[in-house]
Amino acid sequence: MSDETFRDAIDRALDAYVVLEELGEQIEDEWSYVADLTDAWRTRFDEVAAHRGETEISDEASAAVDHAIDEIARIEDPHRAIDWLSTFPQVVLLSLGERP
Amino acid sequence: MRFQDAARDARAVVYAGIQADPQVARTAALLADASLGQRVLARAVMNGETTDPEIWRAMFPTLFGASAADDASALARSEAILAMSLAVADRGEQVRSQVRGALVEELTAQLLARRVGPAGVHRERRILFDGVRAEIHPYDVTVERDGASEAYDCKWGARGINADVLHQLDDARTHAADEDVPLGVALVVFDAHRSCEVRLARQTAPHERTAVVTLESLDELAGSRTGTRS
Repeated sequence: MSDETFRDAIDRALDAYVVLEELGEQIEDEWSYVADLTDAWRTRFDEVAAHRGETEISDEASAAVDHAIDEIARIEDPHRAIDWLSTFPQVVLLSLGERP
Repeated sequence: MRFQDAARDARAVVYAGIQADPQVARTAALLADASLGQRVLARAVMNGETTDPEIWRAMFPTLFGASAADDASALARSEAILAMSLAVADRGEQVRSQVRGALVEELTAQLLARRVGPAGVHRERRILFDGVRAEIHPYDVTVERDGASEAYDCKWGARGINADVLHQLDDARTHAADEDVPLGVALVVFDAHRSCEVRLARQTAPHERTAVVTLESLDELAGSRTGTRS
């Protein structure tokens, strides 16, 4: 097991998610959709953190979250960022063994 | 109500070439039997920036990690989906986008064919009603059966849900009902249910009678008719 808990991993993912959100917000017509979408996924992350927050995650899962964070850090196109505002939470939750 | 092949304008001819790409059919066949995790893998890779397979394997430990070795068949499918998805991602942005759209359509058609048989499933069809001006845009996939027809529009992501497509689907259902013909209508979206719900909540176009099939519920297309509401 890693030294990291579900809550630690989710906190790291959410920090990266904020940056992705800001990129997606550059599409003015989608600003409120971006806000609603990120709210919805934060709610899901919060549910998982509340349920399993103190549980340690595996090294594999911790590395997977790292790679997912690296992947969204590569995105420069705001349209692709909006797509990943949906995709990123799914990838992170699956890597933690949770259903999106 | 009757169905008709869509007119083949220049755009349709180009897109037909994408639809006929063997890579599209092969990838759809893999995804038709895929797990939710494998489908999310395909979505992520085809949307992704990196084309390094090792990074994707590390990002999906439930598919490629130590425990995945216990199920050789599932691991082989994950590897095949990864390879196919990387091949899509390796193409230019415009072609990548077209291939993704064609892929969702082909996947929808393949799953529906399991339920109704290949002969009942059609692509790029218009639906004509007496006294009603025909829609210009065809429906991506239709199931054409006496008294049990269905019309589908397909989207790669939740962001593709918009007023035009919702109106088109609901109009078809309403016009069919006016002719006392049941017509199930549905939107197939290769994205999470949660994201689709957010997008739909913003739409004022009628969609109460339009089913939404998402990554989590794709298999319903092949099973009972729970995927559509007539």
